[in-house]
Amino acid sequence: MTLSTCLLLATALFAVGIYGLLTRRQAMAVLLCIELMANAANLCFVAFSRFRGGVTGQVFAAFSIALTVAEVAVGLAIVILLYRSRGDTRLDLASEMKE
Amino acid sequence: MSPPILLALVALFAPAVAALLLVPPAARRQGWPAAVVCILGSVVSFGAALALLANQLGDPTPQTLAVPWLHAGTAVVAEAGVHVDGVAASMLAVVTLVALCVQVFSLGYMHDEPAPAFGRYFAYHALFLFSMNVLVVAPNLLQLFVGWELVGVTSYLLIGFYFRKPSAAHAAVKAFWVTKFADMGFLFGLLTLYCASGGFRWDAQLAPETATAVTLLFFLAVVGKSAQFPLHVWLPDAMEGPTPVSALLHAATMVAAGVFLVVRANPLFAQSETTRTLMLGLGAGTALFAALLALVQTDIKKVLAYSTCSQLGYMVAALGAGSVLGGFFHLTTHAFFKALLFLAAGSAIHAVHSNEIGAMGGLAKRMPLTAAAFVIGALSLAGIPGFSGFFSKDLVLEAVEGKLGSVPWAALLATAFLTAFYMGKVVFVAFFGEPSGENAKHAHEPGWSMRGPLVILAILSLVLGYFAAPFAKLHGETYHFEVGLGPILGATLGVGGFAAAYLVFGRGKRETVPAPMAWIGRIANAGIVDRIYELGYRRVTLVFADALAWFDRYVVDGLINLLGYSTLEAGAAARPIQTGLATDYVTAVVVGAVCVAAWAVTR
Amino acid sequence: METVGFAFAAACALLSAIFVVRSSNLIHAVLWLGVTLLTTAGLYAMLGASFLAGVQVLVYVGGVITLMIFGVMITRRHDGLVVQADSGNPARGMFVAGAFFGIVAAAIRLTDGLDVAITPDAVSPADLGRALFREQVLAFEVLSLLLLGAIVGAIVIARRRDPGAPRREPLEMSARTPERAPEIVASEVRP
Repeated sequence: MTLSTCLLLATALFAVGIYGLLTRRQAMAVLLCIELMANAANLCFVAFSRFRGGVTGQVFAAFSIALTVAEVAVGLAIVILLYRSRGDTRLDLASEMKE
Repeated sequence: MSPPILLALVALFAPAVAALLLVPPAARRQGWPAAVVCILGSVVSFGAALALLANQLGDPTPQTLAVPWLHAGTAVVAEAGVHVDGVAASMLAVVTLVALCVQVFSLGYMHDEPAPAFGRYFAYHALFLFSMNVLVVAPNLLQLFVGWELVGVTSYLLIGFYFRKPSAAHAAVKAFWVTKFADMGFLFGLLTLYCASGGFRWDAQLAPETATAVTLLFFLAVVGKSAQFPLHVWLPDAMEGPTPVSALLHAATMVAAGVFLVVRANPLFAQSETTRTLMLGLGAGTALFAALLALVQTDIKKVLAYSTCSQLGYMVAALGAGSVLGGFFHLTTHAFFKALLFLAAGSAIHAVHSNEIGAMGGLAKRMPLTAAAFVIGALSLAGIPGFSGFFSKDLVLEAVEGKLGSVPWAALLATAFLTAFYMGKVVFVAFFGEPSGENAKHAHEPGWSMRGPLVILAILSLVLGYFAAPFAKLHGETYHFEVGLGPILGATLGVGGFAAAYLVFGRGKRETVPAPMAWIGRIANAGIVDRIYELGYRRVTLVFADALAWFDRYVVDGLINLLGYSTLEAGAAARPIQTGLATDYVTAVVVGAVCVAAWAVTR
Repeated sequence: METVGFAFAAACALLSAIFVVRSSNLIHAVLWLGVTLLTTAGLYAMLGASFLAGVQVLVYVGGVITLMIFGVMITRRHDGLVVQADSGNPARGMFVAGAFFGIVAAAIRLTDGLDVAITPDAVSPADLGRALFREQVLAFEVLSLLLLGAIVGAIVIARRRDPGAPRREPLEMSARTPERAPEIVASEVRP
């Protein structure tokens, strides 16, 4: 178990998260993928903290967890609003931004 | 400033002041005040010209006053001013005198015009006199060109004086257009001269080929202005203008400007034998050609117009043969007797209200002064011994004899016969015999304003021939008259022509165009040269213009339209990128981030 | 021994992540995300961050996953139709994700000093606590404000407006005119 191995694992998780972000049609699924990506970033932080010494990595990871939770809450509120105005949460139908 | 220069400036600017005073429409509206201003200006100008002539006869050294006019950076490219010598003095005197006579004649002739038109007429006359003077006293060829163009403009204005008549308007445009085409030659000649010699002087020394090129280009302008073949087509049409205008511009002065140019630029023309040979041939040819056309005309003004064309051919031929004195003296005598002929014709036209000689007849009994004036002019034109025309024609024939195998000489002699013949025809049909209609029966002499100039010009036509010696002295040459083959032949042909005319047209015969000459009439009226020009215009100029227009519309504009069109198309093609879907935008962000990372990694 | 454990955990995490993004049933996807997060907690523990592992389980698995389940249930279609979970462009996603992975992997490979093996000394929770409440206390306090802001913001965004009352301009809404008396009374009576 080396640092580069951990980092590669985190990168792979992040890439999977990107694939899901770009591919999924439903808003909730996209939120899940965002979670995945944030989790991968946290893994990076912790890995650096372990292999290079110092507590900063874990501090960052802790803060990151808290921030991610806040972001999920707000994201969920937005999805609920989207659902309420349309009846479903399909992202490929929400194209008002081109106007 | 020496007296000659001062006199020249007065002669130059007196009509300019008159013209300036007549610029505001209010000055012209009443009619007669404009005439007074114009004639006053002409009187002052003539007085100064006369004094200048006397001065130059006493002491013919040339004097110049030139001020810098055009600059290129710090260098002076051209100058403007006055140049006084014998040539300028004599031409100035001729121009101002004929102009004065014509303007006084117009007081009576144009009397029936409405006042504003009357005023406009005299304003144009003042402008013309000033323009002609600019040309005559020019110290270099560039100022001469300025005067040349100004004269062209005033000619256009005066030919088209009755502008509401379509034929007059067309004639004015035709005259302007043909002479403008010829003026291209003048312009290119000036440019070539400047490039070759660094100035616009007429005594520049050039290489033989350059001299030929420059003089040929100038000669093109002469062909146009002096109505030589093939650019003669505008002169008969120019008779649409009032008769006094025809007398001044298209007989005595403006058409003589071409000849004057050659006289002035003689040092240049002397350097090119090619051009001189061309002038000799073309001049003699035009003389004969125009005389043939004059034979079949029935409109008295058209007869005189073709006659002018023919006599200008004489002058051009004389200059081509190398005799400046011959050409210039003929110009001077021609100015007087041709103006006389036109004014007398105008008097007759005024009396019978028609230009046709067929409408006249027997006018000698009813208008003796007019008839006498016309006959004196005709005899002078035909070269009858004793009259001024005889002496000047003799000089021309003497110069042309022996050159180019004497072919031009023979042509000019034939022309002399024809000239006498057609002038005789006009004299006998219009002034003798029986009146042909009511108008002719009730014809009467005009007022004093129209008779006075006739008298003055008649006297000059009679006696000017005997002043050839002082005339020659003005130009630094000597004159002597000798009785030889030339003068005798010329006199014989002239008398013979008149006799033939009497035989055909005298004794009451009314036929104006005899059957043997009808074929000439058919050719003349076919207007072949005009047709050729029209064809050239339609087939060449218009086609070329259409091609250029097509190019402009579809290639030049097409390029711009293509630019606009492709911009719109590019925009339409790029628009689908904006899908409005958040997923696509996120994709773009990630792709961008990847690109930046790639760049950072590979650096 | 450690290497095997690590390899197993890594494989679990990756597989469950792939199932997250590929499940057509949203509930399944959420549950698979739970598995991924749990596995990550295990990884944290292997890396010596025991406190964080616990926080991960509590907050992420316990809180976030629950929230997601609720969210999925609330936003279901009522007509029984199931939305197709996949979009029409998997190739694009695969390409971009692959490109991303490639670049970062290349960067990791090119960087020196990353091949260090695991060291015995790890950070203890006590160290973490000390760092949080001494050096980073400002960030910690700001974070609490941020959480407050996030909660308030979420409530404001998702606030349900009374479906019976039509939406009105603010100025209009606060105007008290005799014509609107009945509905003002009705709205003020509402608890």
